[in-house]
Amino acid sequence: MPDGLQQTTSESDVPTVPDANRGAEEPAVPRRGFLKFLLSFSVVSSIAMTITPIVGFLAPSKAANAGAGGKVLAGTLDTLPVGKGAVVAVGSKPAIVVNTAGGVKAFSAICTHLGCIVLWDEAASNIVCPCHDGRFSPATGAVLSGPPPAPLPQLTTVVEGNDIFIVTG
Amino acid sequence: MATDTRREERLWGPLEWAESRLHLGPFIAALLHVRIPRDAKTFYLGGITLFLFVIQVITGTLLALYYSPTPGSAYESVLAITSDVEFGWLIRSIHHWAANLMIISLVLHMLRIFLQAAYKFPRELTWIVGGGMFGITILFGFTGYLLPWDQRAYWATTVGTEIAGAVPLIGQPLLLLLRGGPDVTEATLSRFFGIHVLVLPLMLAGLTALHLLFVHQQGLANPKRPEPRPGRPGPDLTTEKTKPFFPDYVLDELIAWYAVMAAIVILASLFPAGLEAKADPLLTPEHIKPEWYFLGIYELLKYVPRDVGIIGPMVLVGIIILLPLLDRNQEVRPRRRPIALACAFVLLVGLGYLTILGGR
Amino acid sequence: MRTQRLALFAGPVVLAGMLVLVVAAAASAGAPAQDPAEISWALNVPQATPTPEIPLESAPPVPPPIAHPGDASSTGCVDCHAKVDKKQEAISEDWRSSIHAKEGVGCADCHGGDPRADQITVGMAQANGYLGVPSRAETVGLCGGCHANAERMRPYQVATDQYSKYFSSVHGQRLLTADDSRVAICIDCHGSHAVKPASDPTADVYPLNIPNLCASCHADADTMQPYGIPTDQFDIYAQSVHGKQLLEEQDLRAPNCASCHGSHAAKPPRSDEVVDVCGKCHTATQALYEESAHALVPAVGPKCWTCHGTHDVSEPTEELFLHEGGVPDYLCATCHSPVDQSLRLEIDQFEDPADRRCDTCHHERSQIFAQVEAIAGAIGDAKTAYDIALSRIGEAAALGMITADADVAAAEAKTGLIRARAAVHTTKLASISELTDETIEKANDAEAIANGKLDESIFRRQAAVVVIAIIILNVLGLMGVRRRLHAKD
Repeated sequence: MPDGLQQTTSESDVPTVPDANRGAEEPAVPRRGFLKFLLSFSVVSSIAMTITPIVGFLAPSKAANAGAGGKVLAGTLDTLPVGKGAVVAVGSKPAIVVNTAGGVKAFSAICTHLGCIVLWDEAASNIVCPCHDGRFSPATGAVLSGPPPAPLPQLTTVVEGNDIFIVTG
Repeated sequence: MATDTRREERLWGPLEWAESRLHLGPFIAALLHVRIPRDAKTFYLGGITLFLFVIQVITGTLLALYYSPTPGSAYESVLAITSDVEFGWLIRSIHHWAANLMIISLVLHMLRIFLQAAYKFPRELTWIVGGGMFGITILFGFTGYLLPWDQRAYWATTVGTEIAGAVPLIGQPLLLLLRGGPDVTEATLSRFFGIHVLVLPLMLAGLTALHLLFVHQQGLANPKRPEPRPGRPGPDLTTEKTKPFFPDYVLDELIAWYAVMAAIVILASLFPAGLEAKADPLLTPEHIKPEWYFLGIYELLKYVPRDVGIIGPMVLVGIIILLPLLDRNQEVRPRRRPIALACAFVLLVGLGYLTILGGR
Repeated sequence: MRTQRLALFAGPVVLAGMLVLVVAAAASAGAPAQDPAEISWALNVPQATPTPEIPLESAPPVPPPIAHPGDASSTGCVDCHAKVDKKQEAISEDWRSSIHAKEGVGCADCHGGDPRADQITVGMAQANGYLGVPSRAETVGLCGGCHANAERMRPYQVATDQYSKYFSSVHGQRLLTADDSRVAICIDCHGSHAVKPASDPTADVYPLNIPNLCASCHADADTMQPYGIPTDQFDIYAQSVHGKQLLEEQDLRAPNCASCHGSHAAKPPRSDEVVDVCGKCHTATQALYEESAHALVPAVGPKCWTCHGTHDVSEPTEELFLHEGGVPDYLCATCHSPVDQSLRLEIDQFEDPADRRCDTCHHERSQIFAQVEAIAGAIGDAKTAYDIALSRIGEAAALGMITADADVAAAEAKTGLIRARAAVHTTKLASISELTDETIEKANDAEAIANGKLDESIFRRQAAVVVIAIIILNVLGLMGVRRRLHAKD
């Protein structure tokens, strides 16, 4: 029977059968109905289980758009005038932004010595790691004194109007 | 047949509407109502590979809606997909595991075809087209691996393209072509993305259509006897036991697909796709390892001279693709093909051993 | 009658007075001394007997350099000596590879004679000023003749204080006062013919090579036997944090023997010098220490080496606060005068590292003990919170979750913890608590983020079970359909 799934039998096609066979027909109907129910449940549940994540995925989320465009807002020229610096989060990495006389600079805020988060020392006008008094230059990130073995990696900044952005990558 | 007047069948409403306009009924019936040898043990591997490819197309398309193919934002976009986008971790993990499973099922499929000698007359072209599909799938893996732009991706690609550059004669131009320059840069990422998302899917879709057309035309091979050649007396085929493709085989295939889906769900939930540190061209990690399907070749290069280690696998792949033209033995039963089976055994054991070594 | 009234009146007054005294005593006993001005009782501690300072013999005047004919281009000596025998050939090769050869300092500058001549009777004639091999005592003056002359050394930008420094060292003083020819002189460290600058990695005096250089005498039992000096310093140093960093990690920032003892002015640092010696590198720690109560009693208070050791400096841990399992019975007389129980501290260093604990001096019944306990507790709590956060993050990462944001919070907590531990040197509970509170807050934030990820991971697995159940139902349904297909045949 090639078209097993699609077949329907009409009463007129079935030849006259003794009672015994007719009795056997009746339980077949609920079984077939149950099977149809099972199949439609199978189809519906499969489709639902596939469509749900796809639709959820396509819905835009606020958090995902924060890093869109490859740049993150790090501050404004009002909150960071020349001579001031602050530690901000860029994605999942902390960065230190400093407004120096030579422009706005940004570096990774993870000290290259033992991984402490550096701070801006306004009085000394340099980046200091509070753990062991390592000092970094705000112009280039180079080590000025103390135990850090390597300079702070520099990040690219771009100033648009009043906003300071750190460019990721 | 749908037009058989033996029984008055009414198709479902919308189907009837389409059928009365397009008359696709006979065409679809010709596709579905074929019979396959009952002895054919396919283990549904070809269909599983196709299913996995479809999963890759769907999940890959979804990922491409959020992915950004420049070094400045690729890593961040993948991190956002994994951490912030709703179900992002699931789509990405499915894409990751379906890729691995696709390669495994592809290799098992090729192994099954080889063991049942289904690549011999008249199915040589099917095998060669399949060899091309195998190459494309490997390229899929190679190009896709770079896209997250983390340390593992960047350095595995650097080493991989370096090995490509060591191919004799065409090595250097090949390296420049692959990398879009002398080093792995944003140019590399751009072209790998384009190749992975546009070029390879179209090529694989085309070859798959060809492959399925050939399979439909020739039917499945019988593992018990060679296909009768034209003009030569063959065995009596009328007593061969067959079963219908639709719905028997299709149902079994569907069950296999559900099983694969279950495997992917388990893998994606228990071992979600991770991400290492962002790529740093100035910081070479201590151990660079390519993805597992390249580990065997990578390990081989440690023991043999570089030229041998590169030409060898290329020659091997060539032999595998051209196997039907090289293997003149007309027998299909394993006992009558000792050399072929011995070679395959040696190759599998060797490659397996090298892969395990490379994984350490 | 009047006496009775007086007694009645006096009674409450005396009682009130006694009450005031008791309250005052209780108040002063219970209050931890956070303000340095409140520990005046410690300032009245009699000074420990200082090490008697032996007056230094002053350095002899620098002898003038040896005058000789010829100049840097006169190679009469070395041309012959290079071919005489193996030993002389080696010496000639040494000299050729040296910095002296490069700068035109030749044989005659130390040995005298005439370098222009190729005849031994001319070149090595006493009449021509040949001096032969100088004695050990003469050698110092020989080197000093050029190297202590500012005008002579000016073009090379090399220091000229080595000569005077050397004679302030233990080596130099023994050379002068005891005429000891076994002490180290210039050539023992710098070589005689193969002299190389200290910046040359193949030189014995290159910073990474100095421990082995000093150990060549100071670790040798026979050489040190007449002086009664221990010979295990190199072995102890090699196990220390400093030694491992220098010898194994080849880290040029790590201290070698000369960093603390001096090179030319080599002498073990005195008690009043220790803080400055360690503070040359550990600047932040020295600044913190200067704020502490310990720094106010320089004669008797603990210095760096009291708690951290000298050659055996190891990484400090929370163990340094209190003895585990109670303080052993130290003799009271160790710290208290048996006459009037006043503090009489004479201990500066502890040989046994197990004694280097706060509660060795600040025993349980002392006034400061409560503060010691509070500090130890604060640091311990901060470390525990940080460790818990790290293990949570590790669990989440092991389940495959991305923990980048939790890692940032943990890094902030680690910064606080490192600063809190450093602040222990101030002995001020307030400063330390501020930092430990900050650490605990950040660590709790990190743990909360990690817990969120763990919950998410559990939710995903539960959802996966539901999905698998649906799939199984689907498969059973399909299998049922399949069987029904052929049941009808």
